[in-house]
Amino acid sequence: MKYLPLILPILFLALFLFALIKRVKLYDTFTEGIKDAVPLLLSLFPYLAAILMLGELFEASGLSALVTRLVSPLFGALGIPPEIAKLVLLKPFSGSGATALLSEIFAAHGADSYIARCACVAYGSSETVFYISAVYFASVKRKKLLKPIVIAITANFCAVILGCFLCKIM
Amino acid sequence: MLVTDPDSFLPALLRGGQKAATLSLSLLAVYCVWLGFFKVMEKSGLSEKLSRAVYPAARRLFRSNDREALLLASCNLSANILGLPGAPTPLGVRAVEKFCAAGEHYAADMLFVLNATSLQLLPTTVIALRLSFGSLSSADIILPTLLCTLFSSAFGALLVFLTRKR
Repeated sequence: MKYLPLILPILFLALFLFALIKRVKLYDTFTEGIKDAVPLLLSLFPYLAAILMLGELFEASGLSALVTRLVSPLFGALGIPPEIAKLVLLKPFSGSGATALLSEIFAAHGADSYIARCACVAYGSSETVFYISAVYFASVKRKKLLKPIVIAITANFCAVILGCFLCKIM
Repeated sequence: MLVTDPDSFLPALLRGGQKAATLSLSLLAVYCVWLGFFKVMEKSGLSEKLSRAVYPAARRLFRSNDREALLLASCNLSANILGLPGAPTPLGVRAVEKFCAAGEHYAADMLFVLNATSLQLLPTTVIALRLSFGSLSSADIILPTLLCTLFSSAFGALLVFLTRKR
């Protein structure tokens, strides 16, 4: 654990040394790469903004609370503690929101409780699916996005069920 | 909500816009660092070497022959596994662009699903957060998380494979 933070600086140093040995103009090349950053960002900004606005509406309209209430019993039947239902539902939409929820769960139940451990696994084994789909598919004109998103959500959800079960027996 | 609380409509939209603006700035910062990094990698010939090494495996996984896109995709996966903050995104975006431009939707779907099911080996954020809440055994979730991550990625990849167009 202690040496983990060293990976990044070593990675950068090693690459730059290698590049210098290969006689690459380091500064010019690095800045040339950065040039692509703005167009890349501009190409996905509109989609990102629209998706995030929809997400805020979903939350503010109370729909998200309603859905949480409705699915909690179902989650319970699958072995997912109802306390983390909101986290499981929020994670596909918002990484920072899920992090905030995770802190709340730690504060309410203790960081070493069964519920907290389930929450950790649920948080750690999935990604913000909708955000990633917005970013990755933003610049591509394509209609059939439903299939990959459904697959990703299904796989993540099954992993949460597995995670809660593992936390019980491990 | 439109009926019961119309006053919260515009603020919600604005909050979304504001989030998009701040998120874009942090994305831009991340892109600057990593796109610079990758350009140096490319110019020094390291990309080419890596590409040759991973080509056979990547070609099978993504069922594509586009060398450049495959390299981007493989780098995206390795950056995900190592949990390099922000690095996977610019790589993934460009790989998906290339795959889709060539009509290789299977490859694009596969890359997206692998990204969206998380590949990170060490859940560093979670561990740090647990520590800050006084956990006595902050690392005991590593193994279950790892198992679940592997399961979700494998299951997702399998589903993409099974639902492909024949």
